[in-house]
Amino acid sequence: MTPPVLDVGAILPMIIVAAGAVLMPLFEVLLARMIQQKRTWLSRPMTRELAGTMMAFGTALILGTALIFTLGGFLRPDRVFNADHPLIRLDAMALFLNAVVLLSAIMTVLISIRYLAELRNNRGEYYALLLASVLGMMLLTSAMDLLMLFLALELMTIPIYALAGYQRSSLRSNESALKYFVIGSFASGLLLYGTALLYGATGTLALDLIGQARFDQENPVALVGAGLLVIGLVFKVGGVPFHQWAPDVYEGAPTSVTGFMATAVKVAAFGALIRVMAVALGPSQDQFYVPLWVIAVLSMTVGNVMALIQRSVKRMLAYSSIAHAGYAMVGICVGTDEAYAAVLFYLLVYTFMSLGAFAVLAMATRERTQSGEIGDLAGLHATRPFFAAVMAICMFALAGIPGTGGFMGKFKLFEATIARWSATPADQGLLWLAVIGVLNSAVSLYYYLRVPVAMYMEDPRAGETEQPGSGFFGWLVLATCAAAIFLLGLMPQDLGLFWNLDPLAGAAAAADALR
Amino acid sequence: MSVEQALFYSFGGLTLLSALGVLINVRNTVNAALCLVVTMVSLAGLFILLHAEFIGILQVLVYAGAIVVLFVFVIMLLNLRSTSLGAEHQPVMKLLGAGLLAMAAVKLATLLGADRRSPADVAPEFGTVADVAAVLYTDYLLAVEAAGVLLLAGIVAAVVLAKRELD
Repeated sequence: MTPPVLDVGAILPMIIVAAGAVLMPLFEVLLARMIQQKRTWLSRPMTRELAGTMMAFGTALILGTALIFTLGGFLRPDRVFNADHPLIRLDAMALFLNAVVLLSAIMTVLISIRYLAELRNNRGEYYALLLASVLGMMLLTSAMDLLMLFLALELMTIPIYALAGYQRSSLRSNESALKYFVIGSFASGLLLYGTALLYGATGTLALDLIGQARFDQENPVALVGAGLLVIGLVFKVGGVPFHQWAPDVYEGAPTSVTGFMATAVKVAAFGALIRVMAVALGPSQDQFYVPLWVIAVLSMTVGNVMALIQRSVKRMLAYSSIAHAGYAMVGICVGTDEAYAAVLFYLLVYTFMSLGAFAVLAMATRERTQSGEIGDLAGLHATRPFFAAVMAICMFALAGIPGTGGFMGKFKLFEATIARWSATPADQGLLWLAVIGVLNSAVSLYYYLRVPVAMYMEDPRAGETEQPGSGFFGWLVLATCAAAIFLLGLMPQDLGLFWNLDPLAGAAAAADALR
Repeated sequence: MSVEQALFYSFGGLTLLSALGVLINVRNTVNAALCLVVTMVSLAGLFILLHAEFIGILQVLVYAGAIVVLFVFVIMLLNLRSTSLGAEHQPVMKLLGAGLLAMAAVKLATLLGADRRSPADVAPEFGTVADVAAVLYTDYLLAVEAAGVLLLAGIVAAVVLAKRELD
C-alpha cells in the first residue's frame, strides 16, 4: 500500500481556520487565568472585556490570514488535496465563495466585540464555534463528494445551533436554537437519505461520477435521491416551502449571529447547491427545472409578501432573506454558466448589504431593552447619523435601487434569465421567471423604504437618551459594507487590480471551472 | 456440533430471547432497554462469527455503548410510565403493527423459499479493522479530520448550551 500524495498547500486556509477553532478555547482558559491572578497585559489590567476583545482580534487575524491565502489560491486554482480520491477541489468557485464566507465572518467578529460586551457574554466559545462553522463552510463550497458534503454541512450548522442559543438568559434565543436544531436535523436527515439513495442508484459518492447517471422515470431511485438531496440544501438556504424556521430562528438568535446566518450560511449552502446542480445533476438538469422554478417563484413571492406585514426589523430582514434566496434560485433554475456566475456575484453583493443591515441593528438597537421593532430605529438620523446612512444604503441596495450593488446583482440574474429565454423562446416559463422577479423587487421597495422613513422622518422615541457607539471596528465594518455596495453597483468591472479581484470576472471564471 | 455452531445457536437464541424481552417488558421500560443491550451484544457476537469483526465491534460501541445508553438516559430523565404513552391501546397502531408484521412474514417466507446462492468471494482482509483504516486514512483522510473537528465543535456547543452559570 502506497501512502497517498497529499497537497497540503491546497487546504492551507482550512488548516489555519481549523487550528484557530482548536486553539481558541485554550486561549480563553489562558486569559481567564490571567484575570483570576489579576495580571496585566501591556500595563492594562486584564478584564473580561479586554479578554473578549483580544479573542475577537485573534479570530479576525486567523480569518484574515485564511482570506489572504484563499485569494492567493486564485494564482493556482483547481488544486485538490488528494488527487487519487478528490474529496474537495479548490476551484475558482470554491475560492470565490470561501473568500465571501471569510469576509462575512471577519465582519461578524468585528461587530461582535461591542455587541457581546454589551450582553456581558464575550467568551472564547463564541469564536471557537464561529471558526468551526467557517471551516465547515469552506469545505462545503469545495466538496466534490457527497460524504464530504454531508460532513461539511454538519460542521457548518452544528456550531450555528449553539450560536443561535448563545444568549442563554433569553427565552427567544433558546427557542431559536431549539427550532433551528430540530428543523436542521430534519433537513440533514433528508439530505442523508437522498445521499444513501443516490449511492444505491449509482454506486458512487463522487459528484462527477454521479453526473454520469441518468435521472429519469426509468431510474426512480436516483431521481428521488437527487430530489431529497436538493430539498435538504433548499432547507438550508431557506427557500419556500422549506422556510418556516427562518423568521423565528433569525429573530431569536443574537443579532450578530443572525447576520452571520443570513449571509455566510446561505452563501456556503448555495455553493453546495450550485455544485450539486452543475456537476452531479447537470446533464439531466431538465428533470429539475419545474421544481426549481416553483421554489424560486414561491420564495420570491412569499418572502416579499410576508415581509410587508412584519413589524420587527429582524423578522422583516428574515423574510427578505427568503426573498433573496428566491432571486438566487432563479439563477440556479436557469442553470447556464452565465446564470451561475450571476448567482455568485449576487451572493457577494447580498453578503455586504444584508450584513450591513444586521450590523446596524446589532449596534443601534439594544437587545435587552428594545423589541427590535421598526419604531426602535425612529429618529436614528438625529442620534446616530452614520448608522442611519449605512442602514439606508443597505435598504436601498436590498430593494435594488440602481447605482447600488443590489441592482447590479439582480440585473445580472435577470439578464442571464432573458438570455436563456431568447435562446429557447418556446420556454415561456423563463420569461415569467424574470417578470415575477422584477415585480417582486418593486413590491419589496415598500417595506425596505419603511426603515429609512422611520429613521429620517420620525422623531426619536421619548426616553431615548443616548445610543451606544459603534467603536472603531464597528465603524469600519459599516463603512466597508457601504463602500462595497456602491463599488459593486457602479463599477463591478473596474475593481480589479488583477483579474481575480474583479468580482464579475471572478464569478464568471468560477462558473466556468465547474464544467 | 462444532464449536462454531454451538456459538451460533447460543448467540442466536440469546438474540431472539432478549428481543422478546424488549417486547414483553412494556410495564418496565428500563428493563426493556436493558434487554435491548443484550440483543445488540449478542448480534455483535453473530457478526463476529461471520468474520465481520469490525462491524461486530461497531455494534457494541455504537448501539450497546451509545444509543441504548441514550435510551436509558431519556427513559430515566423523563420518568415515563407505560400508561402515559398509550400507543398499544390505539387501534390504528395495532393495525399498523399487524400490517408490518404480515409484510415481514411474507418477506421472510420468500427469502427462505429462494435458492440460497453461495455468498460472493471476498478477499480475506475485507472488512477487517486494518482494511477499513487503510481506506479511512488515505482516501478519506480529509473526511476523518473534518469529523474530528465536528466532534470538537459538538463538545464546545454542548458546553456553551449547558454551562450552568454565566460568569
